[in-house]
Amino acid sequence: MLLRTLAAIGALVLPLAAQQAIPENPASAPSEVYRSVVRIESAVQVPDYAMPWNSGRFGGGIGTGFVIGENQILTNAHVVSNARRLLITVHGSPKKYPARVEHIAHDCDLALLSVEDFSDFEDFPVFEIGGVPQLESQVRVIGYPIGGQRLSVTRGVVSRVDFSTYSHSRADQHLVIQIDAAINPGNSGGPVLQDGKVIGVAFQGRRDADNTGYIIPTPVVRRFLTDIEDGRYDHYVDLAVSTFPLFNDAMRRALRVPDDNLGVLVTGVVPEGSCHGILQPGDILTGIDGNPIDSAGQILIDGAKVDLNEIVERKFAGDTVELRYRSGDTWHDRAVELKPLPQNRMYAIQYEKQPRYIVFAGLVFQPLDTNLFATAKFDDLHVRRLYEDYLSEGLFTELEDIVVLTRIESDPINSQLSGFTGKVIDTVNGEKVTSLARAHELLHPETPPEFFVIRLLGASRPLIIPGTEVAAANERIQRTYAIDQLSNLEE
Amino acid sequence: MKASPLLLLASLAFTACERPPTVESPPAPTIDVQETVPAFEAALSTVRVSSTRQDWNPRQPWEKNPPRKRRSLGAVVSDRHVVTTAEMVTDATYLELETTDGLKLAQAKVDAVDYEANLALLTLEDPDDPFFENLVPLEIAEAPTTGDVLDVVQVENNGLPLVTRGPVQSIDVVANFLPGQYFLTYEVKASMQNSASSFSLPVLHDGELAGILTNYNSDDQISDVTATPILRRFLDDAADGTYEGFPSLGVATTSTDDSNFRAWLKLGDDHGGLYISSVRDDSAAGKAGVRKGDVLLAIDDREIDRLGYYDDARFGRVFWSHLVRGSKGVNEAAVLRVLRDGEILELTAELERLDAEDRLVPAYTYGTAPNFLIKGGLLFQELTRPLLRSFGKDWQSRAPLDLLDVYENPEDYEERFDRVVFLSGVIATPATVGYEPLRNLIVTEVNGQPIRDMKSLVAAFGEVPGDGLHAIKFDDEDFTVYLDEPLATAVDSQLLQRGLTRLSRTE
Repeated sequence: MLLRTLAAIGALVLPLAAQQAIPENPASAPSEVYRSVVRIESAVQVPDYAMPWNSGRFGGGIGTGFVIGENQILTNAHVVSNARRLLITVHGSPKKYPARVEHIAHDCDLALLSVEDFSDFEDFPVFEIGGVPQLESQVRVIGYPIGGQRLSVTRGVVSRVDFSTYSHSRADQHLVIQIDAAINPGNSGGPVLQDGKVIGVAFQGRRDADNTGYIIPTPVVRRFLTDIEDGRYDHYVDLAVSTFPLFNDAMRRALRVPDDNLGVLVTGVVPEGSCHGILQPGDILTGIDGNPIDSAGQILIDGAKVDLNEIVERKFAGDTVELRYRSGDTWHDRAVELKPLPQNRMYAIQYEKQPRYIVFAGLVFQPLDTNLFATAKFDDLHVRRLYEDYLSEGLFTELEDIVVLTRIESDPINSQLSGFTGKVIDTVNGEKVTSLARAHELLHPETPPEFFVIRLLGASRPLIIPGTEVAAANERIQRTYAIDQLSNLEE
Repeated sequence: MKASPLLLLASLAFTACERPPTVESPPAPTIDVQETVPAFEAALSTVRVSSTRQDWNPRQPWEKNPPRKRRSLGAVVSDRHVVTTAEMVTDATYLELETTDGLKLAQAKVDAVDYEANLALLTLEDPDDPFFENLVPLEIAEAPTTGDVLDVVQVENNGLPLVTRGPVQSIDVVANFLPGQYFLTYEVKASMQNSASSFSLPVLHDGELAGILTNYNSDDQISDVTATPILRRFLDDAADGTYEGFPSLGVATTSTDDSNFRAWLKLGDDHGGLYISSVRDDSAAGKAGVRKGDVLLAIDDREIDRLGYYDDARFGRVFWSHLVRGSKGVNEAAVLRVLRDGEILELTAELERLDAEDRLVPAYTYGTAPNFLIKGGLLFQELTRPLLRSFGKDWQSRAPLDLLDVYENPEDYEERFDRVVFLSGVIATPATVGYEPLRNLIVTEVNGQPIRDMKSLVAAFGEVPGDGLHAIKFDDEDFTVYLDEPLATAVDSQLLQRGLTRLSRTE
C-alpha cells in the first residue's frame, strides 16, 4: 500500500520535540484563524491480533484538528483511532485540554471531537466549510507536522480531483483532492484553506511520489456532518452491485442495446444488498437519478465525468435512488432504498475492537477479518477463497464468521499436531461451525464427549482432543502462557 | 506444504505428515584412498551427453523460449544404449553423444524416458553408426546398501575420467527432480570436484553400474544417486520397447504417531499404520476399495509403522512408498491390509501407473506443445502446472485463486472437464474492445456447447450461431462475452500477418 496516513508516530516525534528549546515568549499567532487549528496528542492502545489475549501495544501520535463549531473539533479518524487519552493544545499555549471522540467514521477517515471544557475556546474563530476548489487554484495547509512542535503552514495548488482509496480502512473509495503542497505526518486532520474557508482535510500522502498530498474534500466532510446530525454515524450506503462496461460492439448487439454508448451490464448483485431482488445479473443499467450512465459506468455531474457511485456517495441510509434499467425485454424505472453494506467490514481494517478468540486445549481460533489477515498472512487456499467470496458470493448469509485455527500453544495434549495452523475450521463433532460463538458452544458442551473431533478444511486428518483432558490442559495453558481469559466472544 | 493433486500419488505421503527423522546410518567405513580406482575402465563405459533443450513460452504458446544447452554424462548399458537423467532430455531439440576422448560423435534420440524417476535411455539416431564399437557396456550391480562404497564418475575437460569414492550414508525415498515424485535414493557422501560437471553422472559399485547421480550438494558433500532397484526396473521395463513406468497406489497418507489420534482410531499399540487422508477414485487403491479414513497396516505382509516405514530386508528402514513405487511393476498386485471401523480387511490392488497426461491439470508437459486457441484476440489455454508456475516464484500463493483451486481440488472439476480451458488473456484487437481486463476465467460453454478441452472449444467456435455472434460463458461468472465472427476472422488473419505462427494447437 503506497498511501500512508499522516498521523505522526509519537515515539518519533515527542523525544525530538522535547530536546528543542521552547522560546520564552512565543510569537503571537500570525493570523487569528490559526488559533482554531489545534494540536491533538493521542495515546493509543493497538490490539494484538497475533496474541489476542494480550493487552496490545501502547503508543501515541500527533495530529491536527480544527474548530468547526460550538465544541466541535474536526480531525481524521486515524488520528484518534484506538485512542485511550486525547489531549488538545492550542497555538502558543502550553495548556493541554482533555478531549473525547463524539463521532468517528472509519470509512471516510473523519472524526468529531469535543473538549471537556470549551470555555477557553469560546472566542476562537470558527472555520466555515467551503466548496470544491478549482484545478490549479492555490490552497494553504495548516497543521502540526513532524519537524517541529509549532504550527506549520504550506501552500500548494490543486493538482487533481479524483475517486480514490482511503488508506485508513483500505476498503473504501471516495472523492479525494490531490495537491502539491508538502504535507507530512502530523498534518493529518488539519484544515486546507482557500479564501478563508476550509476546502478539505489533509489526510494522506504517497511514498512513491513527491509533492503529492491528499485531502478529503468538502462533499465528504459535509456528508459526515449530516450523517451524524441524528446523533449517530450510519456509514456510507452502497448499491452493492458489480457491473461490466459495455464498450464492445458485439456484446452490445448480442444484448440488443442501441449503439448510443450508454449503459453497463450488471454482473453481480450482493445478497441482502440495496439492489437484491431488484437488479439481476444480465440487466442493463442506463440511468441513475435521471443521469444517463455511459458505457464506462460514468455520469456527468457539474460538467465533470464521475463514477455512477458518486450519486450514491452523497446519500444516506434510507434515502432512495432512481434506477433506470432493462431486465429481460422490459424497461424499469424504480426507486431503490439504499442500505449500508455491513458485511463489507470483512475487507476493512477494524478499529476500537477487541479481537475475538477462543483458546481450547492450546488451539487458538480466531474469526477471519482484514486485521487478522494482515497479521497472519494466510496462504491457505480455503482461507483465501472464503475471504474473497465472503461478500460477492453472499457467504455471509450462512457463515457469520470464517473461523481459523491461528496458533497452537504447545502442551502435552496437542504436542503432536503440526501443519494445521492457518486452516479454516469446518466442523466440531460433525456440527458445522458458522461463527466463533458457535465454535465456542460446540467446544464447551455440558458434558464433554470422549473425543472432540475437529475437522479443518483441506487438512489431512481430523484433530482429536480427548474430552476429559481438556479442563486440565486449559488450566495448564492459561498459567504457562499467561492467558488471562480463554476466550473473548465480544468485540 | 500445500495439498495438491500430486498428493494423490502414493509416493507423496510425506506431504501429509511430518517428515520422519532420517534413519541413523552405521558409522561410515574407512576408505582406503590409495586403492586404485577403475578409472580407465570407467572411461570406456562413459560417454558425454550434450543436449539442446527448448520449451514453449507459457504466456505466448504459439512460440518457443530461447534454446539452452547442457552437458553431462551417460553410462553405456548395452551395445546401443546409454542411460542418463530425464532432466537432460526434457524438451530436447538435439541430443548428441561423444566419447570421453572426444574422437567420436553421434546424434542420439530418446528410447525411453521416465520424468518421474528421472531416468532416460538414449540410443543412436542412426542404428548403423559405429559409435559404440569400442565402448564397453556396464553390467547392473547387485543393489548396494548402506555402508557400501560407490565410485562416482566425472570426466575432466581433457577427457580424463575422474573417479570419486564415497560411502552410501543412508537410503531414503527422495524427490530429486519433479516435486512429489519420491523414489528410493542413495545418499552418497563424497567430496567432488567442481571442475567437471556434477550432475547426471554414472555411479559404479565394484565396476558395475549402481545408479545415476542426480544431484550434488557441495555444502554438505552429499549426492543423490538413483538406487539400483529403480535403475534396474527402468532398464528392464524399457528393454521390450514399450515403457510402462512405475505404478502408484493413488492415496495420500498421514502418520499416526499422535496418541490422541490413535486412541480415536482405536489403533492398538501392537499396530503401526498410516491414515489414508484421500484416495483417488480411479486409482489402484480406489478400485481395490480403499477409503478415506482407513488405516494402512501392511502391504504384502510388510508391516508399516506409525511414521510410514517398513523394514526392508536389504535396505533397512524404508518409507512404505517403495513397496509400490520401486518394488513393483504395472499390472502386478499388491495386498493391502487396512483397518476400518476396528476390523482388519485385506484388499488386493491391481497396480497401475497414474499418468500425468490423464490428470485434469498435467503436472508436467515435457515434449508436448501446449494447446491453445486464439479467437479474435481472445487467448484460450489449457491449464497445466507449468502454466501455473509461470506466475512466478510464489506461484502457489500468487497464481489466480480460481486456477489454483482446480489444481489443488481437481476432484471438484473432473466430472465437467477433461482439461480445464481458460481465457488466459486478451490481445488488444478491434474485436476485443472493452474485454482487455478479462483474464484467467475458466470457460464452461461456447455457443451453447459445453467445453471439456481445447478440441471441444475449437469445435464449438466452428459452429457459428445464426446472428454471427459467438457467445462465451465462464465458470462462476454471470456474464457472457460475445465475439463477432466476421470481425474475429479478419482480426485473426491480421494476427497471422503480425507474426503469430498459428492460431491454435490441439494435440
